[in-house]
Amino acid sequence: MKKNHIIALLIIAVVLILDSIAGIEFREMKIQEKIHPTKTLTKESSLSEYCTNLQGKSGDAKIYFFDSGNLGATVLVLGGTHPNETAGFISALVLIENMDIKQGRFIIIPQACSSGFTCTDPMEGTPQSFTIETNSGPRKFRFGSRVSNPLDQWPDPLVYSHYPSGQQLSGFETRNLNRSYPGRSNGSFTETVGFAIMELIRLEKVDVAIDLHEASPEAPIINAIIVHEKCREIGASAVLNLEFEDLQYALEISPKKFRGLSHREWGDATDVYPFLMETSNPIQGRLRGKTNSILITDGLDDQYERAVRTKSFRISYELAGEPLSLRVGRHIQGIKAILDSYNEYSNDKKIVYENIPSYDDLVENGVGSYLR
Amino acid sequence: MKLMFKLLIVYFLPLVCVPTTNAQTPKYQQPVLISSAGQSADVTLAGMLFKKLKLHYKVINLAKETDLEGINTLVIVPGFSSKGLGAAGISREDEMKRIKELINSAKKKKIKILMLHIGGNARRGNQSDDFNKLAAESSRYMIVVSQADEDKFFSSISKKTKIPIKLVYKIAQASEPINQLFNQSPSTDK
Repeated sequence: MKKNHIIALLIIAVVLILDSIAGIEFREMKIQEKIHPTKTLTKESSLSEYCTNLQGKSGDAKIYFFDSGNLGATVLVLGGTHPNETAGFISALVLIENMDIKQGRFIIIPQACSSGFTCTDPMEGTPQSFTIETNSGPRKFRFGSRVSNPLDQWPDPLVYSHYPSGQQLSGFETRNLNRSYPGRSNGSFTETVGFAIMELIRLEKVDVAIDLHEASPEAPIINAIIVHEKCREIGASAVLNLEFEDLQYALEISPKKFRGLSHREWGDATDVYPFLMETSNPIQGRLRGKTNSILITDGLDDQYERAVRTKSFRISYELAGEPLSLRVGRHIQGIKAILDSYNEYSNDKKIVYENIPSYDDLVENGVGSYLR
Repeated sequence: MKLMFKLLIVYFLPLVCVPTTNAQTPKYQQPVLISSAGQSADVTLAGMLFKKLKLHYKVINLAKETDLEGINTLVIVPGFSSKGLGAAGISREDEMKRIKELINSAKKKKIKILMLHIGGNARRGNQSDDFNKLAAESSRYMIVVSQADEDKFFSSISKKTKIPIKLVYKIAQASEPINQLFNQSPSTDK
């Protein structure tokens, strides 16, 4: 065998090894996390129940029902609309794994854009997963993409034309679940997911729906509760109550002309009171330095620290960092405040639940203490 | 005796040196019109404070001159919100023009203006500060949640213009100065 043949075989062998490693890592993104609901779980379903076109597809996200059996309000909580906004997904898990429902009903979709959990965003260098230490040992969770996996919806158009408004956005947004509402059953992959969620809201007669998000520290709308104008007073009351607990949230009203967003389309097309919450997540920011799984959980970044110290930017970043436990704590306390406020405003329907940790619990004990 | 004299001086000195609040604080009367400058949803929070105090008020996000009819106090809640402007369907420039016209109309009608900045840091920065400055300088009194004044933005305006300012730590604490402003002895002058 000639020398160049040996070199060629060696190169092929190295490439095959690297391909195998990449292939294993790629396949790992398809493995769904194990979720451990409490005993008060009454039904487990998926979005294809509301749109059969999703059957067998990676957009068929799981749905968890907690029905008290006592007449009351129905609350929908969505995590993972954007799978790179980790606090939304983990907050939904905290609810599922601690919920004790007493009156009304909780419907929770922890990974609303389940397709987006099977890949990461190109050119971002983000990790594929992160680990949280729990009482039962370390648990690994996927860190996904902002949008649906291109393997499920391809190619992106140059311009995304929203259905039915015709609003034009960048082509990338065609795979963004939170630009897809109200969606359509025979539309694009992402529009189908959006349609299924809208159908769920209609058919299950959801009263309050909360969509959990995160944004970069430099985003103009951060640590905020965004509301449809029909529930601005409930939102305002929640913000005031949160302030009593030393938690600052900006109240924002959903723009009428910005179509496709949950807080706009859910509220316009159904009777639900929609809310969307944002926390500050450094791994999403442009200023971030070292990008790894520790940044997801600890939320500590030297470049953001520098920006705060030098007052270069007006950003939402604490010098102690924006750890996942704090971000989940803000979401959970925000949900509680919104529902308390809803209970005050609602004469006939109430939602009563127990055993959900508070912001202080989560910050003090860490989010891992509330995952099984 | 000397000690007693010193104690008396120490005790009464603040009363002599510090102007009383009443000497500086304007008197505000109901009914009240609450409007935004920048279309942030803080105007809803302001409305809730007035509701809790059982004051006679109305909230009109996009208030115009005609809305000032029968009004004795204009409360401006400044703070830019891109979502709020989107919800109102207007541009930043439209909003600036509207609020300038509203302030001018209020001044012509001798309606006193109270500025209420309750949005903290979220309602500061380039986009908000034009509205903040305009509202602050047009007012007779400012109530500001202190987080927004960490760089002394409002305190500097107060110092320069002699417009009194009350800093509060939380939004809910703004109720107290508002109550004081509206519960002073009735006045007929506007």
